Amino acid sequence: MPRIHEGNLIFDFPSDWLAEKYDQWSFHIHHFQQVCGGAKAIDILAVNTVTCWLIEVKDYRRGCKTTALELADVVAQKVRDTLAGLASARVRGLGTERQAADACLKCADLRVVLHVEQPAAASAIFPSPINPANVLQRLRQLVKAVDPKPLVVDISASPKHQLPWAVK
Amino acid sequence: MLTRLILKNLTVFSEAEFVFANGLNVVAGANGTGKSHLLKVAYTIAAVSARGEKDSGSPVPTKSYLETAVARKLFGVFRPDELGRLARWQQGVQRCQAEARFRKKPLGLGFSFDTKSETKVVIDRLPTKWEGQPPVYLPTRELLTIYPGFVSLYETTDLPFEETWRDTCILLGAPLAKGPRLVEIEQMLDPLEEQLGGRVLLQDGRFYLKTTDGKLEAHLVAEGLRKLAMIARLIATGSLIGTGSLFWDEPEANLNPKVIKQVARTILQLCQSGIQVFVASHSLFLIRELDILLRFPEFEGVSARFFGLRLGEGGVTVQQGNTVDDIGTIDALQEELSQSDRYIEAEAK
Repeated sequence: MPRIHEGNLIFDFPSDWLAEKYDQWSFHIHHFQQVCGGAKAIDILAVNTVTCWLIEVKDYRRGCKTTALELADVVAQKVRDTLAGLASARVRGLGTERQAADACLKCADLRVVLHVEQPAAASAIFPSPINPANVLQRLRQLVKAVDPKPLVVDISASPKHQLPWAVK
Repeated sequence: MLTRLILKNLTVFSEAEFVFANGLNVVAGANGTGKSHLLKVAYTIAAVSARGEKDSGSPVPTKSYLETAVARKLFGVFRPDELGRLARWQQGVQRCQAEARFRKKPLGLGFSFDTKSETKVVIDRLPTKWEGQPPVYLPTRELLTIYPGFVSLYETTDLPFEETWRDTCILLGAPLAKGPRLVEIEQMLDPLEEQLGGRVLLQDGRFYLKTTDGKLEAHLVAEGLRKLAMIARLIATGSLIGTGSLFWDEPEANLNPKVIKQVARTILQLCQSGIQVFVASHSLFLIRELDILLRFPEFEGVSARFFGLRLGEGGVTVQQGNTVDDIGTIDALQEELSQSDRYIEAEAK
């Protein structure tokens, strides 16, 4: 079962999936990151034969520095840069990274997921410091051409969206 | 029914074109981006086009009548010192133009004037037919409590209120509709009267809410509910039944979220019944509620357009589309996200 550790979170994907920490790819770090003065990278790529999931993880329990105001914009930029990076890695990458890029780009569907963990509720008027609906609405505007129905989830919301992976 | 509106050099708009839906049209934007101006100019055109036959006595529109009627309506609705004040505020003489197209009518209505114009409007495009039902304009506040004597006072003295208030008060005072529309009217009224807890009643020139416990003066009804009561009354008189149009400026003003939910549903029910609705709003809650309801099967047939207005160096720009995702940055949303950041920062101290 492909398992990805991202900060304090563990993502377990179905056994027949391919899951990669894209921002740790050698191709990204040594080559694509420098393109056009700086390309960003999504945290996780998860692929079955049909869908390529681009998953970004933000954990505000651990002092995430991305502000709520810029969060969706940052994710959208990472999605854009990652798709460009995959196209490049497919022809210029090496070994398993090249194969994984090929598998991602052969998929018939692209999905964008922002996984956000927040501190436990401290205020009645701010049950979640960052309202996921606000982030989702902005993200949907920005990545509509990639995924018209992106998701903003946390550990508790993952089952509700019937996501095919488990997070703990 | 308005299908398109083109504005050039009108107040904050240097050049803008709006393509409207037959059903719901939602205009979002920060203060000063021209939301109300857009509603008012569209209302002016709709009102003049609808009342022309009765006021002019002519079965077809004429330039001479429209020149006077458009100018008078612009004065009444916007209340500028001079007509030229409505042209975009910049150096030099500017020509201000507005052109509207209507459904199933090839020509539409277009007019223009310049910054030096005191009262004169030129008709650039003459419609071939009058429009049907008079439009309804709901301002940000309710009008039931100011209704008693308002129209008489407005007509006999120089009240500094916008003419939309007078127009709407006239419609509120119309007799209840009769005949074959009653079944449709009752269906529309049922959910509103359930929310209101009674039926709106006009008696001796004053509005009341008639409940099972008796009559309640409009002044004693919660202010938010008075807005719903206005809609109920306009449905009961037939002004919001059939093929008319509703221009509603900030429906959310003075309403709590529970009532806003009902307002959103009522707006879509009106659209579904054939009314073309224009809403200008700051409220993320209302815009979202409309967006959510539009996905429900019961409102599947309602067409919608969303407009985002943004102030730039060259005037206000418009982003528009069939979904709320098409209107670019929504200021109210950005402010909520920004508030989250301020809260997180305050918590960290």
